[in-house]
Amino acid sequence: MADFSISKHGAMGAHLVRRYITERDTEPDPAKKYEFDPNFGFGERKEREMIATQEQMNLAQLPLEQRDYCAHYLLKLMKCKRDYWPNFLACKHERHDWDYCEHQDYVMRMKEYERERRLQLRKKRIEEKAEAA
Amino acid sequence: MAGVGFRMWAKALAKGRSSGLSALLSGCRAASGVSKGSLPGPYPKTPEERAAAAKKYNLTVQDYEPYPDNGEGFGDYPKLPDRSQQERDPWYQWDHPDLRRNWAEPMHWDFDMFIRNRVDTSPSPVPWSTMCKHLFGFIGFMLFMFYVGAKFPCYQPVAPKQYPYNDLYLERGGDPEKQPEEIKHYEI
Repeated sequence: MADFSISKHGAMGAHLVRRYITERDTEPDPAKKYEFDPNFGFGERKEREMIATQEQMNLAQLPLEQRDYCAHYLLKLMKCKRDYWPNFLACKHERHDWDYCEHQDYVMRMKEYERERRLQLRKKRIEEKAEAA
Repeated sequence: MAGVGFRMWAKALAKGRSSGLSALLSGCRAASGVSKGSLPGPYPKTPEERAAAAKKYNLTVQDYEPYPDNGEGFGDYPKLPDRSQQERDPWYQWDHPDLRRNWAEPMHWDFDMFIRNRVDTSPSPVPWSTMCKHLFGFIGFMLFMFYVGAKFPCYQPVAPKQYPYNDLYLERGGDPEKQPEEIKHYEI
């Protein structure tokens, strides 16, 4: 199987090598929707909680890209900045909170990608087994 | 206009013989400028005419070559090689250093085009074909690489970003009357 025969050392961009050269049929395509059921393989899955309301985000006039699951931290940061202006060094704690939330969101995205990839590989293994049998 | 005609003009005015302008124009030519013999003339047909024309333009008879007589109106003006002033020696002490020309040197028909600010016929440092190959090769390669980059884009190995409220259905302009499809996001 391809995974065991070639070296597994992947630097940045290893996913591109997989996608375009080595594992073209299993590597997830960013343009396509992920095809597996979100609850597959999980017992109980916790839903993401949205704290900032639509009305709050509208009043703050947040651009669409910033209306994500970390918007409540961003709203706190914006309020802190407005309260402590012109001291632009004052809101480090709030900025860190928002940054950490965004970081966790990005890590979740990475994990989702990896989950999709492993499920694709699993699907391929099952199909090959079925064909070999 | 200074020179010969001044007195005539003054006399004409005083006498009131003819209208002012025609009196001014009658035989009034400044003493400066080319004398009659040194202006370009018709195409030289006989060898004597050729020799005279060569002398007029400060050229030797062997060097003197008029433009072909095909009705274009060049007359006996010499056909000089189409070389721009930029090709001339920059270190020689020309009479006119900017124009790189000496006094009384025959001027090219398109001299005003061949000044150093304008058309330049000096040879390129590398053959023209090589320059073309390099330029179009580079541009072609870049266009090819852009095409390849569009066909096989680079991206981060992450899932698309998740947004709340059914992927911001209302914020993106969705119909508030219609019920959007429920989109759930989970932690991982």
